[in-house]
Amino acid sequence: MKAMIMLEDGHSFSGQAFGAVGERIGKLALNTAVVGYQEMLTDPANAGKILVLTYPLIGNYGVADKFNESDTIWTSGLIIKEHSRIYSNWQATGSLEAFVKAQNLMVLSDVDTRTLAVHLRSKGEMLGIISSDCGQVKELQAKLDAFRNKPAISMLPEISVKTVTAMEKKARAKKKVAVLDLGITRSLLRQLTASGFGITLFPYDVSAAEILKTKPQGLILSSGPEEDVGMGVVAENIKPLIGKLPLLGIAAGHQVLCRALGGKVVKMRLGHHGVNYPMSLPPSLKSEITVQNHSLTVDADSLAKVKGLKITGYNLNDRTVEKIESKNLQCLGVQFDPASPGFDEVHPVFAAFKNMMERSR
Amino acid sequence: MPRRRDLKKILMIGSGPIVIGQACEFDYSGSQACKALREEGYYTILVNSNPATIMTDPNMANVTYIEPLSIDIVTQIIAKERPDAILPTLGGQTGLNLAFFLMKQGVLKKYGVESIGASVTAISCAEDRLLFKKAMQEIGVDVPKSGIANSVEAGMKIGLGIGFPLILRPAYCLGGAGGSIVYNKEELEKFLYKGLETSPVHQVLVEQSVLGWKEIEFEVIRDCADNVIIVTSMENVDPMGVHTGDSMVVAPAQTLTAEEYRNFVNLCHRIIRRVGVTGGGVNIQFGQNPVDGHIVIIEVNPRLSRSSALASKATGFPIARVSTKLAVGYTLPEVINQVTGKTTAFFEPTVDYCVFKICRFTFEKFALADRTLNTSMKAVGEAMSIGRNFKEALQKGIRSTEISRYGFGADGKDKITDEMLKNPTAELIKLIKDKISVPNDERIFYLRYALKIGLTINDIYELSRVDRWFLDNMQQLVETEDRIKTYRLEDAHGEIRLPAELLSQAKKDGFSDRQIAYLLNVSEDKVREHRKKQTVKAVYKPVDTCAGEFNAQRPYFYSTFETQEEGRPSKNKKVIILGGGPNRIGQGIEFDYCCCHAAYALKEEGVESVMINCNPETVSTDYDTSDRLYFEPLTIEDILNIIELEKPMGVIVQFGGQTPLNLAVALRKAGVNILGTSADSIDVAEDRKRFQQMLHKLNLLQPENGTAFEYEEAKKVAQRIGYPVLVRPSYVLGGRAMEIVYDESSLEKFVAEAAKVSGEHPVLIDKFLEDAIEVDVDLIGDGTTFCIGGILEHIEEAGIHSGDSAMVLPTFTLSQELLAKIRDAAYKMAKELNILGLMNIQFAIKDDRVYVLEVNPRASRTVPFVSKVIGVQLAKLATKIMLGKKLKDLGFTEEIIPEHVAVKESVFPFNRFPGVDVILGPEMKSTGEVMGLDKDFARAFIKSQLAAGQNLPKKGNVFISVRDRDKRAIVFIAKKLHDLGFHLLATAGTAAALEKNDIPVKVLPKVAEGRPNVIDLMKDGKIQMVINTPSGRIPRQDEIKIRSHVILYTIPYTTTISGAQATVSGIEALVKKDLEVQSLQEYHKKAKYKSSKAKA
Repeated sequence: MKAMIMLEDGHSFSGQAFGAVGERIGKLALNTAVVGYQEMLTDPANAGKILVLTYPLIGNYGVADKFNESDTIWTSGLIIKEHSRIYSNWQATGSLEAFVKAQNLMVLSDVDTRTLAVHLRSKGEMLGIISSDCGQVKELQAKLDAFRNKPAISMLPEISVKTVTAMEKKARAKKKVAVLDLGITRSLLRQLTASGFGITLFPYDVSAAEILKTKPQGLILSSGPEEDVGMGVVAENIKPLIGKLPLLGIAAGHQVLCRALGGKVVKMRLGHHGVNYPMSLPPSLKSEITVQNHSLTVDADSLAKVKGLKITGYNLNDRTVEKIESKNLQCLGVQFDPASPGFDEVHPVFAAFKNMMERSR
Repeated sequence: MPRRRDLKKILMIGSGPIVIGQACEFDYSGSQACKALREEGYYTILVNSNPATIMTDPNMANVTYIEPLSIDIVTQIIAKERPDAILPTLGGQTGLNLAFFLMKQGVLKKYGVESIGASVTAISCAEDRLLFKKAMQEIGVDVPKSGIANSVEAGMKIGLGIGFPLILRPAYCLGGAGGSIVYNKEELEKFLYKGLETSPVHQVLVEQSVLGWKEIEFEVIRDCADNVIIVTSMENVDPMGVHTGDSMVVAPAQTLTAEEYRNFVNLCHRIIRRVGVTGGGVNIQFGQNPVDGHIVIIEVNPRLSRSSALASKATGFPIARVSTKLAVGYTLPEVINQVTGKTTAFFEPTVDYCVFKICRFTFEKFALADRTLNTSMKAVGEAMSIGRNFKEALQKGIRSTEISRYGFGADGKDKITDEMLKNPTAELIKLIKDKISVPNDERIFYLRYALKIGLTINDIYELSRVDRWFLDNMQQLVETEDRIKTYRLEDAHGEIRLPAELLSQAKKDGFSDRQIAYLLNVSEDKVREHRKKQTVKAVYKPVDTCAGEFNAQRPYFYSTFETQEEGRPSKNKKVIILGGGPNRIGQGIEFDYCCCHAAYALKEEGVESVMINCNPETVSTDYDTSDRLYFEPLTIEDILNIIELEKPMGVIVQFGGQTPLNLAVALRKAGVNILGTSADSIDVAEDRKRFQQMLHKLNLLQPENGTAFEYEEAKKVAQRIGYPVLVRPSYVLGGRAMEIVYDESSLEKFVAEAAKVSGEHPVLIDKFLEDAIEVDVDLIGDGTTFCIGGILEHIEEAGIHSGDSAMVLPTFTLSQELLAKIRDAAYKMAKELNILGLMNIQFAIKDDRVYVLEVNPRASRTVPFVSKVIGVQLAKLATKIMLGKKLKDLGFTEEIIPEHVAVKESVFPFNRFPGVDVILGPEMKSTGEVMGLDKDFARAFIKSQLAAGQNLPKKGNVFISVRDRDKRAIVFIAKKLHDLGFHLLATAGTAAALEKNDIPVKVLPKVAEGRPNVIDLMKDGKIQMVINTPSGRIPRQDEIKIRSHVILYTIPYTTTISGAQATVSGIEALVKKDLEVQSLQEYHKKAKYKSSKAKA
């Protein structure tokens, strides 16, 4: 079915829709990874976004339940160049097409995604509306305006666990860790389990006191939708825990942690969305290629004012903050995603957090 | 970490001549490395025996040795230059092996030379099969079940223990040479013999076959601080069982899940760490079971490779440059990626397109060669194409190979027509099934036939093991083809009714105008016009390493049919250079060398250079060779599209070999300005009739000749001029389908063959001048002044293709009188054709008469060779002439006759084609060349033989068998061998001739008549050299047997008297041990000093 995407600045691109029909609005988010579409769609960090994949051939290896990062698709749309009509991989249990249909996701294919990506690069990230009705330009503009002016609603209540949830019963021998679920992925959970943590998930709006009541040895702030309006409240909620409990912030959780520490989160002109971002960890010569998915970043100057806090990792290309550490505040934060899919090794940041917890005893 | 200051001088080893498995990719990586080292201020010393390379240009390294890549010679160079370090990772397997043996023999230690880029431990770990297997098991990486055999017995035991099928891989061999798949005990034994012979360390890996598994490759780089990046993944379209150098390959991998990809990446990290590369790149090959995902490692190459060149070109990440910087101590984050200009080398490239690599084969040159593809590489070249989807890349790739195909079939050139496919006979179905289940060079087209006769994707998958995803994409192309065909016109002049949407989709899926024209039954021009009217136009997208995330500074471009033009050409004065496309026999690195020089010359003249080429191995497709690069097929459609966008002042067609020259007429018809010698002059040279008229006018001789379209005509011509005659097609390079015909009975067959290749042009028939001396002349002209670059005398007599013949510069048997005649003829023709640029003439000299055989108004294969010998860069000068400069301004008006002697020798791929007779003829068969350079002929010749891999003996037994008319000449040769202490063995006839002259000789029985015969002695290693001239036009079975064993046991051999003479004088120099090394710069300095003294 013919369909189109119309951008905030009036530009539009045509294509073919499959999956759900109708209209979808969201902020366009590019991703330059070649593989991982299913993981991206089901990662709550992408909630509400229209995902644009720059790699032109999508759906080649189908989908499989085990690749889901959560129970459902969170993006409001997907824009791709070419959709493979068959899938070919021994692990696949179904096609991308069936998957999005079942989950009611609207996909716009046959789009010149290269031109769209270059457009977003030069104009910055913006809102867009996918429409299979190919309605009046003015009408679509009006809908975009309405969406922009509408007060934002937090998706955290929907994304986060509803109640305190212990992930594993026999957690006695392990390090007891509270995890604030801002949109945790299964990959992250696997990493935490593999690191030997006994995990209890907490709803996003839990108070500091409630967390402390369970006597965890540390708190992890998970990744999630960084631009969600609810994140400010979360930062306020955890403020009292600083210095009392070892804290690890991951991606959006890192931003929340920095806000709680007094740092400022700012918008980037074009975010980092891909699997190939270099991070340097001075003074070490050893750097790291990281997976990143963020359009906001923590302002380095604002962090400089926080006593005892050090920025220990930078993006090599644009010097944005990738990693923070504070011994006396017992804080560790990473902007990148240390839990990329398929990792059969454990990222060192979890071991570092374990050490921090050990020292705090 | 800054670069290492403890190193001052660095020695680099090149890869030697172009052979199957080792082509121009090492010139590309070597040149990049030279530049990278010199940027850092290192004093660089380069040794390579291949004169046709850019890397051996005297301005690339501080000191350049064009010398044989032998341990003795390189040791001499080390002793003379005293480098601090050796960089062995840029010269392919040759360079790596040489470094390894230098280490083993203690040379590196003796002279205090460190191996950088890959330590000796790392090389051993990756190359020694046993160490490698152990290392992989240590880090939990599975290897196929295998064992190492040092003898046939051991190999049999291992093989029978694992079970069939098995793969045999000789250790330390490039391009899988000697490798094979065996299915039974008999084959196992046979190929164990062969493999042990092929391996320089007599070691063969006997391995469980993972036939039909997915073949996945990764290019990985690591620095001294343990930073690791993945440059790209690649997936072979042909599954395991076909050498990756023969496979169609896509980048990135298309059928891996994110989890699998991540697992592969983790394995790569572990592997590169365990192997211990601490400043360079590796290529890692995996096999993966498509049914359960089980991964095994196949091999690791701790050096730059064909795949790394492909990965570099596919992603815009210059692996050779980066690896070199890492080898001297930098870390990845310290090296800037010049393509983006914004990121460092510590950034994993990501792409927003699909890259496809397809190979070029030359089975047509080796009539008896088996076309089956297996683990021993057979391709002579490759093309890379880029598209926004696989279908587009596939079709562009096929037309890039220049096998007169314009896409995935449907171009009017299909062997099996649609009619036949509609109601296929049982026989045809069987043929198709066979052709897709046993890999061969035509499999891609048979996959289409299989789809067209209605085999399902699953059927085809079961037979071919080509992944279903690729097959479905092919199926889509067939469907589109069928849809287009419904708009076929009965009347070719009717109006095209193809809907715009279908046209647009077809173009997006890579259909060429030519295919659409065929399907619609109209002309290609008409489709082009129609397409423009419908505004279905190609746009250009950059290769930027980052999928559009950054605005790249130095991207290169590919065409596609999307919405927005990103090509954005400048308004500068510019010239387009047409490259030579994929390497093949007859058109290879020599032409790429010329194209690069054209780009350099344009830069020097302040004109923007725009390169079009599709060969990923070359220097011409490096990101910084030209100002702008288009990675595109060299067809008229693709070229015109670029010309319309770039609007150049002109196009250079002289340098890319026959490919661009063949397009000259069509380009001129389209109104394109051809720079240099006019298209009309090109036509005079190529058109037999007009050429004859010109020779007549200039009063020059030509062997008697005629043209014919079919046999009856040919018969009359041959009767008129008398046998033997030379039969050949028009407009071809490398003597394709060229034959010497001695009588009427064989004429018919060869005329038919030539007519097939010739197409709409007639077959040429020349009187063949037996025993003539051939001479090649390279000449440069500016329209008023003409100057000879070099006169090269062939060492073999006439009848052997000039590309295969050994040549010497300066000439060594021709009188001054004859030379004057040659010069006079050359200048006359150059003037008549008004040569603007380069020209090559072939003469034959018989009975003191000079005959003109051929004139090529373009750069010839010998241009780089001549340029290196005389120290004048002819291709560069020619480019400047095309821009309006005069030879006088350029300071080259007098022929330089060097004091030193240079011999060009050819190398042949016979070891890849078992059973093919090694005899040379008018059809070119060599893949590459080497140069021997020294103060006299004998030394230069012997160096050329050493460089070509002939392991010439200093003592031992020489077997001689010559035809009757050579029996007089052989006496002198045999005498010299005897004097040098060799023992002579000969067949009865030859022995009689020798005995008559009191030369002691042992008579051997004919092969069929008794034992031990020469074959037995060869097997036992008792023959050190063979001199065998063919007895006549139909070689005796004995001779073929002898010559094929020579290849099998790598015994030096010569098949001509003149070759034997030269070899023996060379051996004399070798025995007397006075081969010395001297750099190109030293030779040139002496030459310049001399010529300036002469002028003063």
